[in-house]
Amino acid sequence: MIRMKKSLTVGVKFMEKVDSCHSVDSFAVSRSKMFAVRSIRSLQFTFSQLGGTQQCLRSLSGSSNVVKKNDDMPLQMENPYKQPQKGCILCNITVDFKNVQLLSQFVSPHTGRVYGRHITGLCGKKQREIGKAIKKAHSMGFMSVTHKDPHFMKDPNICDIRHLE
Amino acid sequence: MPRYELALIVKAMQRPETAALLRRTVETLMERGAVVRGLENLGEKLLPYKISKHNERHTRGGYFLIDFHAAPGIVTGLLDHLERDIDVVRPTVLKNDPEPSNGPCCGPPVASKLQDTV
Repeated sequence: MIRMKKSLTVGVKFMEKVDSCHSVDSFAVSRSKMFAVRSIRSLQFTFSQLGGTQQCLRSLSGSSNVVKKNDDMPLQMENPYKQPQKGCILCNITVDFKNVQLLSQFVSPHTGRVYGRHITGLCGKKQREIGKAIKKAHSMGFMSVTHKDPHFMKDPNICDIRHLE
Repeated sequence: MPRYELALIVKAMQRPETAALLRRTVETLMERGAVVRGLENLGEKLLPYKISKHNERHTRGGYFLIDFHAAPGIVTGLLDHLERDIDVVRPTVLKNDPEPSNGPCCGPPVASKLQDTV
């Protein structure tokens, strides 16, 4: 800080000297003036970066060895790169034994067997709900046990399985 | 009183006979002290598999849902009565209490909290 102040005063003194030299060539004078102005401008820019002259004065008045801890530490904030939580496909969807079309999507079209978790990709809670609902529908006479209802054969495939045509 | 749902599969009959069957079913419910909330018709459909009941092989059936509030003690008596009705193919009584919706489904496991403190 102190060094900069000195150079500023030097720049100002230089400007004064340049102004006083009337006998020197006008071109040389203008060039030197420009250099001085540029140097002052760059110094002013650095001063503004530091946060205004008031802060500089404060730090100059106190001991310059102590570094304020608040300026250096990282700011506490929640992760800005946080991705939204991914849920399974049945997140926030109520599973019902009456909804035979939904239940049929998790059942094999050839045998009518319920697919496992590694094929459906559901979370534990929803997989259990689906399994229980399918069993209920079987026993109550809503859903077939050995095959998939032909009306639901054309439904989009949401399970991780490829059927041979 | 807990809330129940009666999923009724009835024989494929003409409209006046189905109406009569539903009427006597609801009357039975009310006689036993149940409060019938509503009645839904899911239509007449092909049964998922052939059901043999009361010396008859059924292929088609009418699906009905009766929502009601009742004391838990009458459920077995009611099912007994419905099994003896020759027009009813399959009666089922289920509990239908509305569940309190839990927090976010499929959230991250609790172990993830430990990573933040490290």
